[in-house]
Amino acid sequence: MRRHSLVRRGSLVCAALLVFLAPPRGSSQDRKVVQVTAERFTFTPSQIKVKRGTVIEFRLKSDDTNHGFRIVGSDANVIIPKRGRGEATLIFRADTAGRYTFECSKMCGAGHSFMRGLITVEE
Amino acid sequence: MRTLIAFFGALLVAGHISAQPPEPAAPPSPPEKTPADTRIEELERQLRELGARVVELEGEKGEPSAEPSDGATAEPQPAAASAAASQDASPVSQTGPISGYMDFHLNRPEHEDPILDFHRFVLLFSHSFSDRLRFIGELELEHALVEGLEESGELELEQAYLDFRVNPAFNIRAGMILAPVGIINERHEPPSFHGVERPFVDTVIIPTTWFDAGAGVHGAFGGGWQYRAYLMAPLDATKITAEEGLAEARQKGFQSNVRNIAQTARLEYGGVRGLVLGTSFWQGKSGFNFRSEDARVGLVEFDGRYHAGPLAIRGEFANVYVGSAAELNDLQQRSTGVNPNIASQMRGFYVEPSVRPLPGLRYDFAAFLRYENFDTQYRMPEGVLPLKQFDRAAWVVGASYFPDPDVVLKIDYSVIRNRSALFGSVDSLNIGLGWWF
Repeated sequence: MRRHSLVRRGSLVCAALLVFLAPPRGSSQDRKVVQVTAERFTFTPSQIKVKRGTVIEFRLKSDDTNHGFRIVGSDANVIIPKRGRGEATLIFRADTAGRYTFECSKMCGAGHSFMRGLITVEE
Repeated sequence: MRTLIAFFGALLVAGHISAQPPEPAAPPSPPEKTPADTRIEELERQLRELGARVVELEGEKGEPSAEPSDGATAEPQPAAASAAASQDASPVSQTGPISGYMDFHLNRPEHEDPILDFHRFVLLFSHSFSDRLRFIGELELEHALVEGLEESGELELEQAYLDFRVNPAFNIRAGMILAPVGIINERHEPPSFHGVERPFVDTVIIPTTWFDAGAGVHGAFGGGWQYRAYLMAPLDATKITAEEGLAEARQKGFQSNVRNIAQTARLEYGGVRGLVLGTSFWQGKSGFNFRSEDARVGLVEFDGRYHAGPLAIRGEFANVYVGSAAELNDLQQRSTGVNPNIASQMRGFYVEPSVRPLPGLRYDFAAFLRYENFDTQYRMPEGVLPLKQFDRAAWVVGASYFPDPDVVLKIDYSVIRNRSALFGSVDSLNIGLGWWF
């Protein structure tokens, strides 16, 4: 009887663990942290590829002045702090496959308009 | 048996919950939140607050929103995006619609009086007609005063172009543009290079700031590769001199003669963090002041920059070719009475290691040493000997102190030598204050 009770409790604990460890319903999105360094007049990396459904956490640092990081066609636009002044974080849900251009949105010098990159969201 | 049934029943329930696809119908109870979900919600909340604050501020300023409203983009809309600055980020600089940089110098040449010079006052303007059509302008006042006399300063329109953005790999640019040659010409903000004055190679061999009217294409291939290819107004070969190389040969968009069009291009690789490698060329018939002479001027250039931790190094090599130099000298002598001694080749290179010994410090500091070698009579037309005073070398040692990443106090000492036994060179102590905003 006691053995039965132990087995029963064990099986309930296992079931509870499985329920706890299982991903929550509807959260099929992967998460990806991408470190981007901005410097007159490039982003490194400037090309980023992810699968559809990925949540990208951009961590943005500058090696010189303030830069902007704007994803064209969206409302995502942050200022990247100057060198040594921390980093900016931007969350981007890549829910739709396609190509998204990102660019520097804060004038940073004579070559400002060369600062661009591409996020490719694949099926 | 009942235990086994209960166990498999529990497994079945757990498996069902974890394996089934999301349903449109709301679940009876909300799923457990992971720390990541909580963080996303927090960031989204912060974004909403920031957005509301921006709208509020825009309302206070009476300005329209900067966001494009025409939606003229072929790109898909992201499902959602949010942003938030990290807690340790300090407030960013506040810049209005105008940006710019300034350069303020004290030059103390050996055995001469010191000179205080507000060397450059530069304003940059930008305007977006839409996401695909942009204007950039750069107006520079050199040496603080413009009187129209020979020794006065200059007011220069260094950039004023429209960018037609087709896609990241192909864009069209037209207007007053920078020649895409060398390190400094396209990146000359004072905090972005060491030394009070620009390198000699970037002054006499590559005549920075090199700008003129033109049009062309630019873009990025991916993997860190970028290119630009322009057609521009040519140099004026009759303004080439042994003392200043190509520096005075620019037409600067002032009713530029375009009997012949010059071609220029640059290929740049920046796919590795901290590393940029580039190569550029320029070529164009430049003898338009003499109907009988084309005088093709060409330039080939290679450059590289690398930084890792506190260490950095950059270098550049450039070689200029002047076609029909003998004929140019002859025609110049007949028309002005002076033979300008234009070389058939000019050459220059430099290498500059630097160190930021305390990179974690909020107030940054860097020390550098630059060796330059530049010869504006590297090869002369047949039968003409080069003058040795134009075969020059320079050692420049100095330091840069950054109270802010956009503000720099520079000091350096330049030792210049040439190969002539008759003509000496003048060393100089230079102090400069430069800033970008």
